[in-house]
Amino acid sequence: MPDLIPVTILTGYLGAGKTTLLNRILTEQHGKKYAVIINEFGELGVDNDLVVDSDEEVFEMNNGCICCTVRGDLIRIIGGLMKRAQKFDGIIVETTGLANPAPVAQTFFVDEDVKAKTRLDAIVTVVDAKHLLARLDDSPEAADQIAFADVIVLNKLDLVTPEELASVEARIRSINRYAEIHHATRGNVDVTKLLGLNAFDLGRVLESVPDFLDEDSHTHNEHLNSISLSLDAPLDPEKFNIWIGHILQTQGQDILRTKGILSYKNEDRRFAFQAVHMIADGDFVAPWNATDKRTSRIVFIGRDLNRPQLRRGFESCAA
Amino acid sequence: MNDLDALLNARGVSENLGANIITGVFNRLGSHAAFALGDGSLRLSDGKGWSRINAHEGAVLALAPDSTVSGFLSGGDDGKLQRVSIEGSLTEIASFGMKWVDNIASFAHPKSGLLACSVGKFVHLFNADGSKLRSLAHPSTVSGIAFDAKGKRIAASHYNGASLWFTASTSETPRFFEWKGSHLGIAIHPLGEAIVTSMQENALHGWTLPDGKHMRMSGYPSKTESFGFTKSGKWLATGGADAIVLWPFFGGGPMGKPAVELGMSDGAFIKRIACHPEFEVVAAGFDDGSVIVADIVKEKILPVCGPGRGAITALAWNASGSHLALGTESGFAALVDFSRQG
Repeated sequence: MPDLIPVTILTGYLGAGKTTLLNRILTEQHGKKYAVIINEFGELGVDNDLVVDSDEEVFEMNNGCICCTVRGDLIRIIGGLMKRAQKFDGIIVETTGLANPAPVAQTFFVDEDVKAKTRLDAIVTVVDAKHLLARLDDSPEAADQIAFADVIVLNKLDLVTPEELASVEARIRSINRYAEIHHATRGNVDVTKLLGLNAFDLGRVLESVPDFLDEDSHTHNEHLNSISLSLDAPLDPEKFNIWIGHILQTQGQDILRTKGILSYKNEDRRFAFQAVHMIADGDFVAPWNATDKRTSRIVFIGRDLNRPQLRRGFESCAA
Repeated sequence: MNDLDALLNARGVSENLGANIITGVFNRLGSHAAFALGDGSLRLSDGKGWSRINAHEGAVLALAPDSTVSGFLSGGDDGKLQRVSIEGSLTEIASFGMKWVDNIASFAHPKSGLLACSVGKFVHLFNADGSKLRSLAHPSTVSGIAFDAKGKRIAASHYNGASLWFTASTSETPRFFEWKGSHLGIAIHPLGEAIVTSMQENALHGWTLPDGKHMRMSGYPSKTESFGFTKSGKWLATGGADAIVLWPFFGGGPMGKPAVELGMSDGAFIKRIACHPEFEVVAAGFDDGSVIVADIVKEKILPVCGPGRGAITALAWNASGSHLALGTESGFAALVDFSRQG
């Protein structure tokens, strides 16, 4: 593997505190060089040597995949940054408050040149503990940003009571049970919990998925939710590919993210599978340890997920 | 494998420039080649010595021959468009702040030369002396620009198609050629019969002029980063595959006609194409570092250099076609003399 430059996507609704968090990351990581791609200059400036101003230009791929939208400006800017002789420790992409995270994430799956030079490290979503519930009620983007997140920074804790915090956290969990949540006031999160996570590397993330949360627990009439399935029997890769291909083809518009760590028959390495909507990618990663229980796990985050149907399908992939 | 370097060794001068090469061109006179580097410098060579000009902060993103005979134009991610003389002096033509100067083109003419650069969604048009003519607005970021052979029109590629503007007009609306998707680069047929763009989806798209009929050219295993028409306009030579893919622009083509493939490699893909200024000859540079020259009429291939010095990122003929400049992403640069000798 060549040294791929990690890319962190920073999303969050207007006023959630993205720029404050961004500036904190940049000040704390002194000695490291980041390229920061922003969409607009907010009231708060971004304090970094290299800030690239972009227009969020989304286009539809003509690849037969109806929801496949990509950020063309990111392809261009990353191509331009890679031309520099001076190299970076990472790239941080800040999206606008109203942005749907899918096109940003899909860019890293679709474009060969981007894939050859960079890897998506994590999607970090900043949410405002005080106003999140209202945002979730009035804007679908707020829920999508939570659904897509690998890491959620629950900001402005000083403005809420413990009871309010508990209900906000429960609401987040009802949408995305598998993101790590960090509490913060004015963006004071340990930077090592945001950067260099390899969240898209999945292994660690899925292994920390708590089983006891697996019962369906969405109490709100949120259509977005998340489910996890596990299987102890090894999988037949062909059966799995046919099944997941069909699921993503037919339901990929509603399935925002899919992540899996799979145990294939006669294979000592773990297979990491992930998808954003219909676009999937997978690769063998580190081998199973001798003491590991070789359990395949797969997580879906999306709208109106049919758990029994997905479970039956996943189980039918056993070798 | 050393045989493949025979031409480079016998007729080339080469240099390791120490930083990744972005692109390279000759000046209009053909006396000097310039290479643009990722460290912000330009390196000029007259085939004997090399000089260094620190032109931009960050990376040089675009380079073109000036519309005058000897100089160059360069643009960078420092937002500057500059004129560069072969003696090494820099003259700023325009500065665009944080925006990048992504593309540059020029049109040479004793009285009505033109310069153009693209910055974000705009193409900025200048007189040859650097005075601003006008700014042309597009619906999304411009990815490529090209003047036609007479300097009467300038074409720009962007999302969902291409725009064609008359350079002397003051109209605010171009002729828009629509095709859904992200278009990455553009070329105009030398006789003005077509415009062609490369696309994100490993394909090219074209429109006939003046009627605007669609032409689809697909089947590439990777993106076509570089393409151009041969001198006569009979062939469109394209990269993006493991051979030079030539689309016939005659006898009703390319619609319904198969492409011709020349110079098949052993699994390497073509990154750069340079059509010869005089003959139906094309140079092609591969991602393994090898360069070939193909004679389309005779269907003969001449190896210029073998693989191993990094992917080819710069490839250009001088105006008479006597010299070929080549450069790689690892900083290797060479000028190869093709003139008749002895």
